[in-house]
Amino acid sequence: MTGVLQIFRKSLPPKGLSARGEFIPRDEVLVQIEENGQVLGFCGHVDLGTGIATSLAQIVAEELDADPKHVRMVLGHTDRTPDQGATIASETIQVSSRPLRRAAAQARKLLLKRAAQLTNSPVESLSFRDGKLIGSQSQTADWGMGDIVRGVQIREELDDTTPVKSPSEYRLVGRSHPRVDIPDKVTGRMVYVHDVRVDGMLHGRVIRPPYAGYDHGPFVGRSLLKVDRASVAHIEGLVDVVVIGDFVGVVAEREEQAIAAAEALQVTWAPIAVPDLSDPIEAVRANPYEPRVVLDRGDVDATLSELSHRLDREYHWPYQMHGSIGPSCSVASWHEGHLKVWSGTQNPHMLQADIALLMDLPVTNVTVIRHEAAGCYGRNCADDVGGDAALLSRAVGRPVRVQLSRAQEHVWEPKGAAQLVRIQGGLDAHGAPVAYNLDTSYPSNVSPLLALVLTGQVPAEVPTVAQMGDRTSIPPYDYANARVTVKDMPPLARASWFRGVSALPNSFAHDSYIDELAAEAGVDPLEYRLRYLPDTRAAELLKATAAKAGWEPQTQPPQVDPKERILRGRGLAYALYVHGPFPGKPAAWSAWVADVAVDRLTGEVSVTRAVVGQDAGLMINPAGIRHQLHGNVVQSTSRVLTEQVTFDKTGVESKEWGGYPIIQFPDIPEINPVLMDRPEEPPLGAGESTSVPSAAAIANAIYAATGVRFRDVPFTPEKVKTRLDEALGPLERPSVVPLAPLSSHGETARPAMASQGWKGLLRKAGLGAALAVVGSALATVLPWRAPIAPVAPPVPGMFSAEIIAKGKQVAAAGDCAVCHTAPGGKENAGGFALETPFGTIYSTNLTPDPKTGIGQWSYAAFERAMREGISRDGRHLYPAFPYTAFAKTSDADMQALYAYLMSQEPVEQKLPKTSLKFPYNLRFSMAGWNTLFHSTAPFVPDQNRSEQWNRGAYLAEGLGHCSACHTPRNALGAERWKTAYLAGGEAEGWVAPALSSLSRSPLPWSEDDLYAYLRTGFSPNHGPAGGPMAPVVHAMEDLPDEDVRAIAHYIASFDTRHTAEAAPALRQQILARTADLQSMEKGEGARIYNSGCAVCHEGEGAHLYGARPQLALNSNVWADTPDNLIRVVLDGAPSPAHQAANMMPAYRNLLSDRQIAEVVAFLRRTMAPEKGEWSDLVARVARIRAEGGH
Amino acid sequence: MAASVFLTVNGCRHAITAAGNTPLLAILRNDLGLNGPKYGCGLGACGACTVLMDGKAARSCVVSLNAAAKCKNIVTLEGLSPDGSDPVQKAVVAAQAAQCGYCLNGMVMTLRAFLDANPHPDEDALKAALRYNLCRCGTHVEIMRAARIAAGLEKEDSGK
Repeated sequence: MTGVLQIFRKSLPPKGLSARGEFIPRDEVLVQIEENGQVLGFCGHVDLGTGIATSLAQIVAEELDADPKHVRMVLGHTDRTPDQGATIASETIQVSSRPLRRAAAQARKLLLKRAAQLTNSPVESLSFRDGKLIGSQSQTADWGMGDIVRGVQIREELDDTTPVKSPSEYRLVGRSHPRVDIPDKVTGRMVYVHDVRVDGMLHGRVIRPPYAGYDHGPFVGRSLLKVDRASVAHIEGLVDVVVIGDFVGVVAEREEQAIAAAEALQVTWAPIAVPDLSDPIEAVRANPYEPRVVLDRGDVDATLSELSHRLDREYHWPYQMHGSIGPSCSVASWHEGHLKVWSGTQNPHMLQADIALLMDLPVTNVTVIRHEAAGCYGRNCADDVGGDAALLSRAVGRPVRVQLSRAQEHVWEPKGAAQLVRIQGGLDAHGAPVAYNLDTSYPSNVSPLLALVLTGQVPAEVPTVAQMGDRTSIPPYDYANARVTVKDMPPLARASWFRGVSALPNSFAHDSYIDELAAEAGVDPLEYRLRYLPDTRAAELLKATAAKAGWEPQTQPPQVDPKERILRGRGLAYALYVHGPFPGKPAAWSAWVADVAVDRLTGEVSVTRAVVGQDAGLMINPAGIRHQLHGNVVQSTSRVLTEQVTFDKTGVESKEWGGYPIIQFPDIPEINPVLMDRPEEPPLGAGESTSVPSAAAIANAIYAATGVRFRDVPFTPEKVKTRLDEALGPLERPSVVPLAPLSSHGETARPAMASQGWKGLLRKAGLGAALAVVGSALATVLPWRAPIAPVAPPVPGMFSAEIIAKGKQVAAAGDCAVCHTAPGGKENAGGFALETPFGTIYSTNLTPDPKTGIGQWSYAAFERAMREGISRDGRHLYPAFPYTAFAKTSDADMQALYAYLMSQEPVEQKLPKTSLKFPYNLRFSMAGWNTLFHSTAPFVPDQNRSEQWNRGAYLAEGLGHCSACHTPRNALGAERWKTAYLAGGEAEGWVAPALSSLSRSPLPWSEDDLYAYLRTGFSPNHGPAGGPMAPVVHAMEDLPDEDVRAIAHYIASFDTRHTAEAAPALRQQILARTADLQSMEKGEGARIYNSGCAVCHEGEGAHLYGARPQLALNSNVWADTPDNLIRVVLDGAPSPAHQAANMMPAYRNLLSDRQIAEVVAFLRRTMAPEKGEWSDLVARVARIRAEGGH
Repeated sequence: MAASVFLTVNGCRHAITAAGNTPLLAILRNDLGLNGPKYGCGLGACGACTVLMDGKAARSCVVSLNAAAKCKNIVTLEGLSPDGSDPVQKAVVAAQAAQCGYCLNGMVMTLRAFLDANPHPDEDALKAALRYNLCRCGTHVEIMRAARIAAGLEKEDSGK
């Protein structure tokens, strides 16, 4: 028999959020000591990254006198730990640790009793130190706790009267203790919920409805019209598509397959109009509510009417996000009516009850196993994804892991709600604050498990109302007449608790308002608060914090020099965070003194230092308390300065970190903690308290710096700048130094074939050649041409390996595969759609398949097609197929190309029919076109140019057909060689930039630049090959270096611009100027760039992998139209040409038209200021978006 | 369109069969069972998935399998040291620089690559190096201390 000692208690019927259905009592173990010496503590709360696993273990070890190394906490396992409610409101230490502490004390008592029996010693003489038994007379010097329970099973119910240690006896509690989890976290050994792998596990993804971020309303659970399963039939590894109401999920063998299926699945939804939250505060104001008066002291109305100085104010809080760094993830395993869910939940028992309800199961058939997850700071999607995994696992009968995407977490996490707080009040004749009438509106509830409302299992028409707007709603100051009304209201967007809940906005109002009163009364804000703060612990904390900060009395209005760029100020605030249902329980006291620097030019506010005091009573683990304080200061500074969820007509607009930026390392304030030493006082929750005074302290500091009050969080640069400009007059902005314009030298280069009129041909090639050309030209212009007889398909060995290899290079030079390969299709098997102004043309199958390819084409037929644009059957081909260029190919190259193409694996592929508008749909009309625009003349070198130049010309003008995209075409679709060679054209909807002196790039294209660009897909001086150019670079991989070099040499000859100074110096100048200009722009476009783009596009650190395109050097930023820039933002660069380049993500479904317009405008302003702003950007993005992806 | 390629990860060569545009992160986690690199955004924006590719910090969620196959050696958090003895890892423990720890992989791997290229940075350079690694718990103060310890700007036992 393995020995064990357990202290248990009878489980209590669940209260609160998990209270549902039938209650089956069971024994809940709190503390267990095993024969091997392992001590387990059990707690229903979980470690959200705050370190409570460490603190609770300290408490257990303390009461047991155990070695902390032997104590391990089991947290949040529905079968093993008690239901202690959700891990919310900072109450783990304050509330949930109590039975644990007592159980540990009881276990120590029992152990000592048994040790006394075993050793025949009086129990009073025995004790433990670090888990070792001491004081015994016998030879048990090295007995540990495990030895005492060896071979026996001792179980005892928790005795609530067991005495616990007094704080003066503590040896472990109250001292800093290293976190138990960090060594595993820093090595990758920690198994987060994201890392759970179960045998036979599949991967699932969910597809969420279009009511982005709403969980109630008539449309919820009722909007799905159709799911087209055929749209994903082609996805390899797909296991199932699961549809229940508005719940849609896909399951696949591999994760990337599940992602591909989720992206490809065609789902049709009913049109939906979500509530307008473009102005959240007005929506809150209009939201129906039930008033609940939680404080009514004195006669508020009478006093208000008698005030000598009336001051009515409103304070606004935005929607904000928890913003977990890891989007939620869960694994579920369905087996014979039982479900196991591995989850990162805050509330395992509540999730257990929710999932039981979702699946019509008894609660006891659901087990929730809690793993650590990314920090959540409140209710995020951790529970939702468990419901998703449960549904998918039941549908496929195998374990399924579901990972939400970043956008899904951003959009669907229940938000921290917007809040409106209104205060009426003012001063009497003595400057005393005698009246205070506050009402607060907080549209939030507990957020139902999403799967419950999506499947229709729980009706979603009418949302529940939770009374959570009252947290810290009672002002801390002694207003003689005071009334506080909480307007209980349903949520608007999906919302639930987020660190500080409603207390942070309520406290923002309380402590901004008292600061305004102090200023009106002409009294120092510290002095004024202390006058009316009855709580002595609060007053002591406030004084200690102010002293540490070197607080100097502020009795005069701020003196502001309107010409100064940086304004500095100091502000303070105080709060006692009261959590839980009203009247609630107070957690730790907190006070802030914030120093800010306000940049008048940009409007940016920096918190340069925060002196933050906290009185948390007994600090179980002071290091942990300090760490939580730092975290709260950093997070709340971020929330106060920049964070707000934006909404558009489709719902939540903030779908990634660019749209919802959070604070970064350079902006972290210096933090000086002031921890009050109160070991004799009970421990208080410290997980949230120091967030609560943040906003008021920062707002008060901004007032001290600028004389302007900010009453609406966040204090974004654009908001601050606008108001300061209004109050102080605009500050002059340093002017932009324009770059010296590039000058052009020499005469404009011409292509080798440019002079190819009759005269030119006669001059260059002689009469014979000219006559030959005339002959073939005449043939090309005949409207009907004879078919060329089919031949037997080639047999292996027909062509030499040498000629095939040569042909492969020719194909590379001609980029055949670029247009003749459909997305995801077999190489050269055709079917690629070319959108032209005349209609859609589908490329043909170039593999030697006899039926659908060129298997029956003789060389003569092939050559005719290449040179004249005539198909084997005599039909005219369209010049989207650049036979106009290919005509210049040498016979030897043409023959090699034929050999290569005919030696490929044949692919049978039926192709869509090309359909053009009249008259282009009449193929014979191309005969007339050819008369006008096509010459079948062979390539003739320009004898005034070098051999390399002519080799480049042969490749670029002929096979390479550069001009097909880079030369503009006339109204009939012919390239304008004579007047605008390489002057910029169009390709698949992209602008093909000019390659001549008309290029818009700020640095000229040198031969080396072009070579690097064509060979590697990236030029550090210009950027990556993107859009349709990326596959061209891929296709050119087989081209020998000297040929790429020749093309670069030739093309470079057309860009005759040159720089006054060396190109590297100009490059540096451009980048430095961009950095300068960006330091003066901190608005929304800057934030999107800074949080979404700059990570790959800014700086060129030697330690960073991959190509780092510097956008200021990119011609697309300097171009006449923003189209390419917009296109690449929308569709990314999923297959970059450069071998060490990141795949640029597509932002089509992540950024709105407005957001893309903001960032594009920012790039233009800060990188190419000479060029002037692009107009109508939002409409332009909308138009290009509507054209669909390429 | 799955194809087989070879990846060298933490010194071991693996044959991988997957589509060439599969993000390296998915391969590391699902095919090789590595937990160090984490999925945070799939956009390269947060840094949680950072690995070293030939010693350089790379965001594995935006690196394709094809690109990864061109790299001589990929190192993940697990490959930094068998026992957490890399100086950056030790500094993190000394500074207690984690709350939830989800971003920690990115912090450690970015610092490792940065310090290899810049052995004597100042504090501002460290901040700039970590700028695009997001942390939501607000562990920046402790992470910066770890960075200073790893960079030799501060002693491990210098207190708080």
